[in-house]
Amino acid sequence: MTFDAIGVAGTGLTLHRKWLDAISDNIANINTASPTSGPAFQARYVEAQAGEGTSGVYVAGAAFGSAEGRMVYEPDNPLADAKGYVRYPDIDLSSQMGQLIMAERGYQANAAVVDRAKETYQAALEIGRS
Amino acid sequence: MSIAPIGPVGPSATNAAATPLTSSTGSASGAPGFASALGGAVDDLQQAQATSDQLNIKAVTGGLDDIHDATIAATRAQVTLELFSTVRNKAVDAFNEIMRMQA
Repeated sequence: MTFDAIGVAGTGLTLHRKWLDAISDNIANINTASPTSGPAFQARYVEAQAGEGTSGVYVAGAAFGSAEGRMVYEPDNPLADAKGYVRYPDIDLSSQMGQLIMAERGYQANAAVVDRAKETYQAALEIGRS
Repeated sequence: MSIAPIGPVGPSATNAAATPLTSSTGSASGAPGFASALGGAVDDLQQAQATSDQLNIKAVTGGLDDIHDATIAATRAQVTLELFSTVRNKAVDAFNEIMRMQA
């Protein structure tokens, strides 16, 4: 394909956007309590896979965190069971914030590659112009 | 100082010059002609611009999944247009250079 570096960086942008979406969902649900009869909210982790040759990176699928979660004693919670427990998702906020920075920086790096590749191709078009 | 004499114009040279530029079958060697290459470049350019247009419409109507898809398509279309325009200018320059030749 023509201008392949731009397309390859595009796959990286897509992957990091999906990672960002997953982190966003995990942080949004970090305080979502559920009854002990059902599973807790499970953190979503994006699995990356390298494409064949130099075709970039793709999302292979998603892995999920513990369905067991953390059992928290909250007898006032309307979702609490007979013993007064509810399930909270087992998500580490500091880990999510670290991943958030990685996803953001990764996205920015890929966006920079698109710009640099464009400048490179434009430099090629300038050869012999003057 | 000696100047090499210019040889007579042979049939091979006239044949090459007589090959029409618009021939889609290409030159005698079997390589694709300039016209078909230019036509292919026009198709590529139109494809890139159509993709960019579709994604721009999606962006304003809210059907866009990835912002970068639209901006990358616009970048592709821009670079393709610059490439096409550079090739065209080179071809026109070459044509003008030939037209300026004096007998």
